[in-house]
Amino acid sequence: MCGIHDLTEQDLQPLAHSPAYLDKIKGMKFFDPHVHMTSRTTDDYQAMADAGVVAIIEPAFWLGQPRTGVDSFRDYFSSLVGWERFRSSQFGIKHYCTIGLNSKEANNEKLAEAVMEILPQFIYKEGVVGIGEIGFDDQTALEEKYYRAQLELAKEANLPVQIHTPHRDKKQGTRRSMDIALEHGLDPKMVIVDHNNEETVKEVLDRGFWAAFTIYPFTKMGNERMVQVVKQYGSERIMINSAADWGISDPLAVPKTAALMHESGIDSNDIHLVTYKNALTAFAQSGQINESDFGVVTDQSEKFNGSTVLRGGQQPRINKNTTIIR
Amino acid sequence: MTAYVIDHENVKALLGQLIQQQENARAIDWLQQRQELQQTAPLTRDFLQTFTAMPRFTGKQPVKPVTEIMEALEKAIPGFFVYDWTLDRLARVWWMLFIPAAEKSIYVNQVEALFNGAEMNELAALYSALPLLAYPEEWIARTADGIRSNIAPVQEAIMLHNPYPAQYLPEAAWNQLVMKAIFTEKPLNQIYGLQKRSNEALAAIITDFAHERQAAGRPVNPLQWQLLTNFLSTANFPDITRLWQSAYNVEKEAAALVCYHSNYPPAKELLASAPYLADEINTGSLTWDKIAATINLS
Repeated sequence: MCGIHDLTEQDLQPLAHSPAYLDKIKGMKFFDPHVHMTSRTTDDYQAMADAGVVAIIEPAFWLGQPRTGVDSFRDYFSSLVGWERFRSSQFGIKHYCTIGLNSKEANNEKLAEAVMEILPQFIYKEGVVGIGEIGFDDQTALEEKYYRAQLELAKEANLPVQIHTPHRDKKQGTRRSMDIALEHGLDPKMVIVDHNNEETVKEVLDRGFWAAFTIYPFTKMGNERMVQVVKQYGSERIMINSAADWGISDPLAVPKTAALMHESGIDSNDIHLVTYKNALTAFAQSGQINESDFGVVTDQSEKFNGSTVLRGGQQPRINKNTTIIR
Repeated sequence: MTAYVIDHENVKALLGQLIQQQENARAIDWLQQRQELQQTAPLTRDFLQTFTAMPRFTGKQPVKPVTEIMEALEKAIPGFFVYDWTLDRLARVWWMLFIPAAEKSIYVNQVEALFNGAEMNELAALYSALPLLAYPEEWIARTADGIRSNIAPVQEAIMLHNPYPAQYLPEAAWNQLVMKAIFTEKPLNQIYGLQKRSNEALAAIITDFAHERQAAGRPVNPLQWQLLTNFLSTANFPDITRLWQSAYNVEKEAAALVCYHSNYPPAKELLASAPYLADEINTGSLTWDKIAATINLS
């Protein structure tokens, strides 16, 4: 009776109506190793938690609007290890990030130099599980310069690398990204090549790299295609992610694809590998992931009254199907 | 002018001993190496990296209390509290004591650099270190800014068991701290100096706030009424009377505590109407801490 919010146990329960696909994946846990939560709402966090997402990685990328000063980068990196991580924890989702200078903004040389100066201050922070997402966009000389410089940083810090492969001239760009990583002496086991498709996957796997697939409408992979990829290539070193961001994208892409795989008769162990375990194995090489932190929500032994209920900062549920707002 | 208001060497030694007692060989070795590096070839980059990378080497085990050291720390800095810390926080706070303090501008820049690039746990460590920092008046604006944070562990590092705010914050910032603590449901009894820093402006804010919540049909934390104790008047006494008549025991008990500790004559009269409550207060069975425990368990 004395707390400000006066939550009851019911306020913290998932909403009663759940989409049919959730039944197929009931009890499964998911790890989405690429999602830009900075651009998403709290509703997405709740929906992800309800669908079984227990951990995510947010790679540093561009924000749509080009940045004009290094302080904007500093604040963005701080937000990835600070505010966004805290926001995520309120929904019981463990938030990690990769830190890096993205390929688009690598083309602003003066800014890129300044960003390279501050990167060492961030890559050693808690929960930073890699350098990323870095690589090629337009495949310019400046993109290559900063890609190489960041591979060196990754090597020095012994951190995995999360590579963004370009939309245009993808096959060549992917090959070149791998060539350069090997040239710098990186172990392919420490490199996650992202945004693969049917055309790139074979070479990536053959050369010993991790192959990540982004389930993203229109521009990247659809999940029916993804089912076929897993049927053909199996589950070894393959992982999927949503890369949900400020575009038309789906933060539930990983659980939805798991449901579709289940429906398509893919073995549940394979589903577990591509939607959870492989991402964990790859990024845990950073030494920064503790699986026991995943999906930690309020300790149910705590009383649901007074201040103790919000110990983890968990957020109350609201009923969206009513016109009443309290 | 000396930079430190605390016995810096003594506190540094005590924290160092506490770290030694944590039986974590890896952490102790690494800290030893970093300390030697800092003393032989001090570089800002290495200093910052040590601070940032701390949990990678120390881990995050809860600090095991060592009574003699805790008592000595409490004696050196009244209100300073490390009981619920993890080892990475303890080591980070200890590490702060290695910043060269002879030159004020260098010292301030170094601390500011740590704050500017800090993530959540680093911020919690930095704010926990406030009572130990040199040039204490330099961190007032930083502390006021930290109170505006929306991140619970950061708020807690400033608000709870930290003697710095009560000692250095001007009244407006202090009042903001208390109100933010109420809004964010912090255990008010853990705010160091809460009674001592109570003031008339805060009493008025608290009363208005209680009225707003009542108008919205939302409950009021009974602990907040203690802030009216020395500022009872015809303006706010009706609130205490209403509390006294409440159906909830805990509210009546809060009213009794306010009346007991106040010199306002109508308050004394009110309390006289229920001598059993005055007895409970006299014998120590009714206290604000007891109310705090009750509302956390109810």
